[in-house]
Amino acid sequence: MLEEVVLLAVDEKTGRLRAAREFGTAYALVGAVFFDLALARRIDTDTEEIRVVDPSPTGNPVLDRVLAEMTARPGRKTVRDWIEAMFHRKEDLEGQALQALIGQGILRHEQSKRLWIIDVERFPLVNNRPQQHVKLRLARAILSDEIPETRDIMLVSIAEACGLLGYVLSEAEIENRRQRIQLLAGLETISRKVREAISGLDQVLRQASAKVV
Amino acid sequence: MIQVTQEERSGWCVVGVRGRADSEAADDLEHALRGAIEMHGKVAADFGALDYISSAGLRAVLQAARAAEERAAEFAVCHLTGGVKKVFEISGMHHLLRIQGELPC
Repeated sequence: MLEEVVLLAVDEKTGRLRAAREFGTAYALVGAVFFDLALARRIDTDTEEIRVVDPSPTGNPVLDRVLAEMTARPGRKTVRDWIEAMFHRKEDLEGQALQALIGQGILRHEQSKRLWIIDVERFPLVNNRPQQHVKLRLARAILSDEIPETRDIMLVSIAEACGLLGYVLSEAEIENRRQRIQLLAGLETISRKVREAISGLDQVLRQASAKVV
Repeated sequence: MIQVTQEERSGWCVVGVRGRADSEAADDLEHALRGAIEMHGKVAADFGALDYISSAGLRAVLQAARAAEERAAEFAVCHLTGGVKKVFEISGMHHLLRIQGELPC
């Protein structure tokens, strides 16, 4: 899930990363890691709590670090607490997903200078089929009325929280399917808690900017 | 851990589920519901004796409903009570599933 969402954020023409919502994206990527752990059957959630159901390593270094931390801290129980804890660790989840995608031969890394000083990083697609596949799944999950696969429900909720839907669907399509997007994004506890965390942070930032003004 | 029963009533296959539908039981739950859907055109999941359902359990129910949709079979989730009912409501599953208080048969 983490790699799929980061792949979706790569501009297929320029190789640059689209960052629609900086903090929202950071929270959403934490949510993607928890979804990956749920898909790997290492964690489970109910409406508030998250728990490790199998502490054995998955083989993915990012997931295994998070899983080991969760196993070591059984006292921290709520989904929201874990999302906040991972967010505040400021781990470079995006960078690690990009490295994995480069390793799989899907992206390549280019570094150049703009005005001889500013470093510019690009991640052009070497193989564009995986990204097209992710876009297709996302569009199909939103535009059809059928029940999507679990993985696609998770993908919609994370892409929505990252503000990436606009790169796959037109504004009119998103507007027409707003209800469907909200429905799919609300099905999973993890995505509901990611949205709560983002809206909590938005509120804090609004209050802070109001004080400055 | 869940216990599953299956019986036919008035053209419906009623799958009764008892216990806790968590990650440990999710595969069994999905397997039982999908199995019934493959064999019958009308399946009712009776969750009256279900004490708990986690996200993994919900995913199992939703994927069974997806299988029913693909086969154009009728699929209803019935007798939700207490905490299980609350979980279905919070997740908004009632927008995707046919959920009813009583069995349809």
